[in-house]
Amino acid sequence: MDAVLVGLTNVFTLQAMTVLLIGTLAGMIIGALPGLSSTMGVALVIPITFSMSPESSLILLGAVYVSSVYGGSVTAILLRTPGTDASIATALDGYPLAAAGRGAEALGMATIASLVGGVFSVVVLIAIAPPLSKVALAFGPQEYTILAIFGMVTIVGVVSENPLNGIIAAFAGLFLATVGLDNFTGGQRYTLGMRELFDGVPLLPALIGLFSVSQAISLSLPRSGGILEDDGALAAKGRDLPAWLDLRRCFRTMMKSSVIGSIVGILPGAGTSIAAFISYNEARRTSKNPENFGKGELEGVAASESANNAVTGGTLIPTLTLGIPGNAVTAVFIGGLTIHGMIPGPKLFTDFADVTYTLIFSLFVANILFGVIGLFAGKYIVHVTRVPGGILGPMIMTFSVIGTYALRNNMFDVGLALAFGFIGFFMERWRYPAAPFVIALILGPILEVNFRRSMQISNWDMTTFFTRPLSLVLIALVAAAIIYPVMQRQKSRA
Amino acid sequence: MLKSMKKVVTAAALGALVAASPALADYPEKPVKMIVAFGAGGSTDTMARIFANYMAEELGQRFVVENRTGAGGEIGWVALAGSPTDGYSIGLINSPVIESYPITRADTIGYSMDQFRPLINVVTDPGVLAVAADSPYQTLADFVAAAKADPNSITVSHEGVGGDDHLAALTLASKAGIEVNFVSFDGNAEATAALLGGHIDAFEGNMSEAAAQISEGTVRALAVWSSERMTQIPDVPTGAEQGYDVISAASRGIAVPAGIPEDAYQTLLAAANNVVADEAFQAELANLNMPIVPIAGDDFVSYLNNSHETLKELWAENPWLEQ
Repeated sequence: MDAVLVGLTNVFTLQAMTVLLIGTLAGMIIGALPGLSSTMGVALVIPITFSMSPESSLILLGAVYVSSVYGGSVTAILLRTPGTDASIATALDGYPLAAAGRGAEALGMATIASLVGGVFSVVVLIAIAPPLSKVALAFGPQEYTILAIFGMVTIVGVVSENPLNGIIAAFAGLFLATVGLDNFTGGQRYTLGMRELFDGVPLLPALIGLFSVSQAISLSLPRSGGILEDDGALAAKGRDLPAWLDLRRCFRTMMKSSVIGSIVGILPGAGTSIAAFISYNEARRTSKNPENFGKGELEGVAASESANNAVTGGTLIPTLTLGIPGNAVTAVFIGGLTIHGMIPGPKLFTDFADVTYTLIFSLFVANILFGVIGLFAGKYIVHVTRVPGGILGPMIMTFSVIGTYALRNNMFDVGLALAFGFIGFFMERWRYPAAPFVIALILGPILEVNFRRSMQISNWDMTTFFTRPLSLVLIALVAAAIIYPVMQRQKSRA
Repeated sequence: MLKSMKKVVTAAALGALVAASPALADYPEKPVKMIVAFGAGGSTDTMARIFANYMAEELGQRFVVENRTGAGGEIGWVALAGSPTDGYSIGLINSPVIESYPITRADTIGYSMDQFRPLINVVTDPGVLAVAADSPYQTLADFVAAAKADPNSITVSHEGVGGDDHLAALTLASKAGIEVNFVSFDGNAEATAALLGGHIDAFEGNMSEAAAQISEGTVRALAVWSSERMTQIPDVPTGAEQGYDVISAASRGIAVPAGIPEDAYQTLLAAANNVVADEAFQAELANLNMPIVPIAGDDFVSYLNNSHETLKELWAENPWLEQ
């Protein structure tokens, strides 16, 4: 208990608050820029923390981490350029809202949902981290396989407009997901002998190309306006913050997505985007107006954003309690902890409890800080949608190229992002949705690797998926997610 | 007095001769680039950045880490091999991985080992074979006996075909005459989670990754693949102690592009030798559970050559990848 108090007092000092504010602002900017991911943000900060006290360095790392995940939502909504895979689902509804002049409202919803998700996951981290870490261990390759399928069910929802084109896009994504060295045999698959493709099609350059570069091309075309479809009049009509009724309507979704995000966050190797996709699909499935999703539904933004921010606290649970990083960002975190002589594991809650609680409370404060900043700044940031396309387009292009190069210091990736930019541009023209393509590209490798791992463990016995209780529960959830909407439609017809 | 003057003049004349080729009298005169083939924040990168800070102190110039990642390190090493030979580009190399690619990726490999001049080995992180605390296997003998009783039934994790974990487990299997069921994982985190969750029976990885779990007692190491016991995990017996002489480790050292000026090489070597002997540096690496095993200059060259030859023989005998 003493440690909890020490942690609290550590956070509420002038120095800690300054570090928190700097970290939060830096994280928001890093998250908003295309190509700068949370992982990179935290890695950039690590060398700075070498000379700081353990408390300050953890506060800085934590603030950069949680606010960079939130920062990604800003550009996803306003420009349809998600900085990382975490905010792809946010762009699905956020951008149509921004285009219709409701950008500030969408930003407000994203901010509140991120705040709810982030705070929820920190509370979970404080209250029940040790027992929950067992959940991380209960998931074996079999469960990860089903989880990846669960995420892919989202594809069914986002292709409803034009199913054939959507399915073609999804299969193209799955095909690209097979490129690279096969880690099980060492063989090369479709690498064309290019070592830049040995690790597979690099995800972030592909994302930046499909979303940011293609958007930059569209905006730069002659006679294209800004983001706003009808400038002036529409923007004036938009609200600065979401209406109370909308917030109340989305509250259930936010809580449900926070739970999903926290659980998925605990699982090493699942990834933030799975949480956002599953939550988005859940929100659509249980919504009264599922047909609005993808066209500018605030609830979609709320689902994706509360889920991806809930992942932050979730990923820290196995990191702090077991020493097993929940994702790439927390793996970098572990490096930061060990440099200060703290070995992640149960000792963090005994020997180093005061430092650990300092981190946890600072995450809490960082969530509130970005919430306040976001709510206050939203109505100003939204003006970016009024910038003429001829100016905005080249700016997005510049950031995309720099961001892509910075990922691996590699010109190949820049070329790849540009190529994907043209692919994305023509996909949009010819009405092939980008979302199923990207979802398949992200989840394909998780599905394949875990399926093959399950097969290695079970000696090619397919029943392994049906003999494990947890796997069965997940299969039931997947089945419900597929069958339920069909039944609903039948009922409404009858 | 006159004598010493003469010395100075001679030295100056000699210096002028050397300076006729681009001046290196005050090497390094500008920041030195250090190429790291793995991502920022990973264990290789963490070690590289600490090492770079100490080199900077020694030589009074910044050592700037540049992460060139991808293809399991190959992209960074191709960049290092093709770097200018002016002494302002050095890089981190990981053994035995760097020697294995010219063998296993012979068709597409972008560098050859003779494009590097090894400088110093810094860390040698031995392999460990570990099981969960509640596993029935108390010793390596239990493990081997169980594997003999029911071949291919024990699942063992490794981090990628052809990596040092995989090779270590293969060597054990061939020496003990057993067959195990290998399960490939993408990294230490997922493999450890699978071990603790009881999804796999055993974990083959590096000591620095498992040391915390071992000392906490959540994981039991059956053997460490080093010639002597490690101070980080003193209770864990070596393979040789238990009758299976398996030696395997992941090493991290520094290399420069072949052909850099001899005096630049010697300056770097002297500074690197000071760094590895520095107590503050040793303490920082001890925090990370990374054992420092300095092998400097020509010794490091022959160490890598031997390892390369051993891998070639192993490959000729029994290629561990599909071709």
